[in-house]
Amino acid sequence: MAEPASTRPGAGLLDRDAIRLSERAATTDEAIRRCGETLVEVGAVTPAYVEAMLAREQTISTYVGEGVAIPHGTLTAKECVRRDALAVLRFPDGVDWNGNRVLVCVAIAARGDGHVEILSELAQILLDPERARALREATEPDEVLALLSPVRKESTA
Amino acid sequence: MPSIKGNDIHKVVVACDAGMGSSVMLASTLRRQLSRHSVTVEHTPVNDIPADADVVVTHVGLADRARASAPDKVIVPIRVFLGDPAINTIIMAVQYGGDLHG
Repeated sequence: MAEPASTRPGAGLLDRDAIRLSERAATTDEAIRRCGETLVEVGAVTPAYVEAMLAREQTISTYVGEGVAIPHGTLTAKECVRRDALAVLRFPDGVDWNGNRVLVCVAIAARGDGHVEILSELAQILLDPERARALREATEPDEVLALLSPVRKESTA
Repeated sequence: MPSIKGNDIHKVVVACDAGMGSSVMLASTLRRQLSRHSVTVEHTPVNDIPADADVVVTHVGLADRARASAPDKVIVPIRVFLGDPAINTIIMAVQYGGDLHG
């Protein structure tokens, strides 16, 4: 059943269950596996998607700056996506990401364009040092949900 | 090496592999930065760059594929998806005219 709140663009992409704020990983691959497993657990992708995420990372790093990486699969792995979804994993101890230190992963599973709004919002957050820090230091899922909800904010436009 | 005048830039394409992540983010940022100008910004797969693209932005790791796919286009390779200095060269060209090479 559709809820009224889900008419907001991007709503429903990020389940509270898919927000994991005290993860640990020794390597990039391990962090990506944790991201992929989370997407599998919330029913967004089939397990094969995790391998595609690892393969994608080999081609080009998904590190986007401000301690954040956005691991996702490849074009051919779109068939492994059951529904568009995001997962947010925080690694408080940091993960070495090919020379960069990653504290937060925003993992993406997308077949359509539903995630575009949230990624657009994420870009704005990362360009704002204060909000970027809030995302890196979030300890409650609600903080993450509030930051990433793609509601047009009247900031400095 | 192709070049284009800033005034002739009407469509910028962010070319990517999956079109799922970083390029989407870059396209949305660039769209916002160019919102005062009549420039459209799209993201497309690197193997499917539209004929009417004026400038193609892509990660250095995909630049060769972009050149093979669109040999006559100005290709702007970037290393980081947020805040890469190469993006500023596009914005400057659009704002103040001048040539953009690539």
